[in-house]
Amino acid sequence: MSTMKTTRDVKGVGVAIPRPDGPEKVTGRVQYVGDIKPKGLLHAKLLRSPHAHAKIVSIDTSAARALPGVRAVLTAKDIPHLKKKAPTRAHAVLAIDRAVFMGQPVAAVAADEPSIAEEALDLIKVEYQVLPASIDPLKAMQPGAPPVADAGTEADTSEALAHSAVAIAKSEAPAKAVNISQQARLQRGDVAKGFAESDHVLEKTYRVPMVHQGYLEPHAVLAEWDRNGLLTLWASTQGSFNTRSEVSDVLGIPENQIRVIPVECGGGFGGKIRALCEPITAVLAKVTGRPVRYVMTRREELIAGMPAPQVIIRLKTGVKRDGTLMAIDAETIIDSGAFSGAVLAVSAVFIGSMYKWPSFDLRGFEVLTHKPSVAAYRAPVAPQTIFAIESHMEQIARDLGLDPVEFRMRHLIQEGDPMVNGQPWQSNGAKQVLARIAEHPHWKTRKQWVAAGKDGRRRGVGLALGGWLGGLQPTGATVRLNPDGSLAVLTGQVDIAGTNIALAQIAASAYGVDTDQVRITTGDTDVAPMTGLSAGSKTIYTVGAAVLQAAEDARRQTFEIAAKELEASIHDLELVDGKLTVRGMPDKGITLATIGKKGNLYMSKTPPVLGKANPAFSQQAPGFAAQLARLEVDPDTGEVTIHDFVVVQDVGKAINPIGVEGQMQGGAVQSLGIALTEGLLFDDSGRLTNPSLLDYRKLTAADLPNLETIIVEVPSPAGPFGARGVGEPPIIPAPAAIANAIQDATGARLTELPMSPERIALALVNGTH
Amino acid sequence: MRRFDLVLPNSLEDCLKILAERGTQAKLVAGGTDLLPQMKNGVLRPAVVVDLSGIARVRRVDNGNGLRIGAAVTARELEVSPALRGPYLAIAESAAMVGSLQVRNLATVGGNLCNAAPSADMAPPLVALEAQAVIAGPGGERRVPMADFFTGVRQTVLAPNEMLVELVVPAPGAHSGGQYLRHTPRRELDIAVVGVASQLTLADGRCTRARIALASVAPTPVRATAAERSLEGQAVTPEAIERAAALAIEAARPISDQRGSAEFRKHLVRVLTRRTLTTALARASA
Amino acid sequence: MAKQILQCTVNGEPVEVLVQPYVTLLDALREDLGLTGPKEGCGTGDCGACTVHVDGKVVASCLMLAMQARGRKVRTIEGLGGVETLHPLQDAFVRHGVPQCGFCIPGVLMAAAALLEENPRPSEEQIRYGIAGNLCRCTGYTKMVTAISEAAGMLASQRSAR
Repeated sequence: MSTMKTTRDVKGVGVAIPRPDGPEKVTGRVQYVGDIKPKGLLHAKLLRSPHAHAKIVSIDTSAARALPGVRAVLTAKDIPHLKKKAPTRAHAVLAIDRAVFMGQPVAAVAADEPSIAEEALDLIKVEYQVLPASIDPLKAMQPGAPPVADAGTEADTSEALAHSAVAIAKSEAPAKAVNISQQARLQRGDVAKGFAESDHVLEKTYRVPMVHQGYLEPHAVLAEWDRNGLLTLWASTQGSFNTRSEVSDVLGIPENQIRVIPVECGGGFGGKIRALCEPITAVLAKVTGRPVRYVMTRREELIAGMPAPQVIIRLKTGVKRDGTLMAIDAETIIDSGAFSGAVLAVSAVFIGSMYKWPSFDLRGFEVLTHKPSVAAYRAPVAPQTIFAIESHMEQIARDLGLDPVEFRMRHLIQEGDPMVNGQPWQSNGAKQVLARIAEHPHWKTRKQWVAAGKDGRRRGVGLALGGWLGGLQPTGATVRLNPDGSLAVLTGQVDIAGTNIALAQIAASAYGVDTDQVRITTGDTDVAPMTGLSAGSKTIYTVGAAVLQAAEDARRQTFEIAAKELEASIHDLELVDGKLTVRGMPDKGITLATIGKKGNLYMSKTPPVLGKANPAFSQQAPGFAAQLARLEVDPDTGEVTIHDFVVVQDVGKAINPIGVEGQMQGGAVQSLGIALTEGLLFDDSGRLTNPSLLDYRKLTAADLPNLETIIVEVPSPAGPFGARGVGEPPIIPAPAAIANAIQDATGARLTELPMSPERIALALVNGTH
Repeated sequence: MRRFDLVLPNSLEDCLKILAERGTQAKLVAGGTDLLPQMKNGVLRPAVVVDLSGIARVRRVDNGNGLRIGAAVTARELEVSPALRGPYLAIAESAAMVGSLQVRNLATVGGNLCNAAPSADMAPPLVALEAQAVIAGPGGERRVPMADFFTGVRQTVLAPNEMLVELVVPAPGAHSGGQYLRHTPRRELDIAVVGVASQLTLADGRCTRARIALASVAPTPVRATAAERSLEGQAVTPEAIERAAALAIEAARPISDQRGSAEFRKHLVRVLTRRTLTTALARASA
Repeated sequence: MAKQILQCTVNGEPVEVLVQPYVTLLDALREDLGLTGPKEGCGTGDCGACTVHVDGKVVASCLMLAMQARGRKVRTIEGLGGVETLHPLQDAFVRHGVPQCGFCIPGVLMAAAALLEENPRPSEEQIRYGIAGNLCRCTGYTKMVTAISEAAGMLASQRSAR
């Protein structure tokens, strides 16, 4: 059987080229952190608080230290640099005098074997004084609720805001209750008057639990110090520079003394954008003088990872009988767990900015509770927000007897319309995406399809539209011409979405060679240009732009050298098949290899071609996606069977269609999990009741049909070749699409996720909507 | 996992000797699909683990005279066994539902029963088919009816020096059919929110024996005896089935937990009893 | 607790290695035999990332004790396909751009290989059930099913060509 060869007619952008790391992955040869086994490796385990909120009275580690095979046992006392009041989750390396969520690390062990480390944890004696805990965010928001943050701790929202690149006016009113860590309000017009003049007022509360990103590879890190005091971290991370900065800040080590090597990352989706286990592993490595590896168990991931926040949205709309929008009022409560970090602004923007509301009053609160703090899960807060607004819009259309697509289209924003924060919508494909999905035969023939249901199964068809503004982050890239005429591209971008092949295609197209002449290297923090997180749907948009500019720079340098060698004008040269020739004079030419060699010769006067770019960005490129579901409900058990699922997405320009389809399908299935089966379920004491993959239910292949993907291309003004970010929009629409399809099938309108069989069956039994 | 000693007996006698000496600190392992997760969570911390994979006696399926199933027969083997057709089909159906194929190739019927989770899928069909558990101990072998085997959540009649060796399933007679159904939120890798096994034996158009066993609605698998009685001696009409399905709820004392509320579980008992009785009737009549 | 000698066959080669009695087959393969293809995604048999073949059957190697593999034949992803050549399943996965993060892929391929050995012409539904014990978070499974179906066709025509 042949191995994959790049075909000779491969060019660059737009071609469906399989990722070059495919053969390594299908043979099991790719290394993840857990596969690296240096000599003398020690295994780390963490002892975690069994209480959601407790004072730590004492810790006795003597018995643990005495167990043969144990090389270090640490508590917060052993790490003097730790800030007394941890401003972020990463700073809470080990709890100092108070545990603020069940699962918070309290002590750490390094031992010769994982089993010995486990036994050592059993031998650590901790005395706790249990304190009242704030678990329910609605209660936690009230004055007098048990406080989560230490008084004086800042709510650190810098990363959260950077991730979403959304500007929002901060509320003037100070927080009344101690656990409200962020709040914001956006208003325009007079909503009370708008409601008074409406014929149809609809008010519902939408609830989405915390969900885990569900990456197959748990958090993992390997730490080792050298004799010069240089710390090396092999990390499963979405951003090596971010990890370096956080570890530097947390442990008080200069950034130049830390090298973060981003090892192949077995999934992140926003759960690995922040440092988590790196600081404690680094300290264990320092103290023992040996390499130490920490790999979270799945149970630890579910109990003490960094999930997506719980979101509760009270939404009220007023419209006229003919469907004219009058007013929208929304209160969004985001439960961020024990440390601030939710992207509050996003919710307000999307709830009020998808459609043109003449008046609005949108309030958002981030609330702290004694639960693990959150990070992002693709498009943070967007699936929850779109679940609310798209369910609501569908319900309005249904109540008024209006076509759901026409109703949306009539009010849908377009470029130039103001968002609720006053900023104008950038160019986007929202209308094109909605129009495209409405053309799909599944939508056009939905009534006939529903009517053909049999055996008591109830059929329904539903759709929804969502979008993401697109992230921005400054970055850099270099492009180097090799002595054989091939190109070497260096970025620091962790490749978690198959972006490397797309970057290679961009470089190839911009420089003027075939993609198989280009190799992308992801450098570690010692060698790569600064780069941000592989998150926020910004890799191709920003790193792609940097690669494009660097490739163009390299091309310009190459042409200048060739022009000099050939004594011709740059404008008369063309580059074809690795050779620069004077147009019309095919014999007068010079190969790229020759130019590359000359730049590397002793005493040569020809410089080596090194293209570079280090751009910053100011213009976002929103990406919209629409999803449609055809499903059947067993009305007695509530079981849902998805027959067909369509994903339409505007990607601006599909640099690599295979990669784009993969993102669309993968994101859609994550979205379906949020819709149907997933949720971290905490009891009243803050204990997670489903800490295993048996009870934290991710969809299997048997639960799903083939997902159909339709790529729409509305070019972005500033993206490379018009590309937009791809990774986040597909996680957004499914919960609303599924809710709309379930209502179509059964009449029941579900407003709480997941829409489990129990919720559906009991809604039908009890006639509750 | 925490550390432990591992013993690898080659015969049932060797195994019983080990249990006689160290049974109170020991756990038997066959497929490990319930034991290892509990050891990894620290719920179980045996000092000794006894591996059954070298013992031939507990791995046979035999349907010469009635049906005998070795305790270490895997769920997958039961799923595809030609011996489990006809009246015994519900056993194969329940085995086919356990976890995933990667789990079914390891999980054993004995492990499923001895772990004695209220949700154990293979219990209800064996209860409904009135199987007997053959238990070996220091004094020889004894038999316990399946319905009496379970004494509480994760508790059985087994003493620390005993082990389950075999299941004996009596031939239910001509015109007997059954089905096992369960509700799970996903189609694979899941655990029963409610499971129901119904077995009907007919003669002259009437039901001579009805057995309905429920999983996940009580600390142990339970028989819906009122529902059973309502069917015996009758023609099994749709109305009779509906009546039995409603009566089956009486046997259910479910808790509400993160897998399902008591209300939903009771609702499912009715639905799944109705469906399994309908199929059992069709299979018995074929 | 003394180590025990595990004797078995791994990827066609006889193996004799000292293992702790309390380690799983997955641990022994990864740590003692250097075969890091099978992964630990959950440790409790709920994700399939550790899927290997034991005596030709797919098992969750995180749930087997290493010593339970004594005398048996074990096959990991490293034993699928040859040194220079890819198995048709691996080749199809590469060409269809199936692997994203790649962590689930060894397990999925072992499940798919066993499926095709037992059922050379599976329907889409049978393929889906054949890999239903393998969770993937990146791909949404669609391209996997397409690739497995295509590989089945390739294997079938290879067989008939003989």
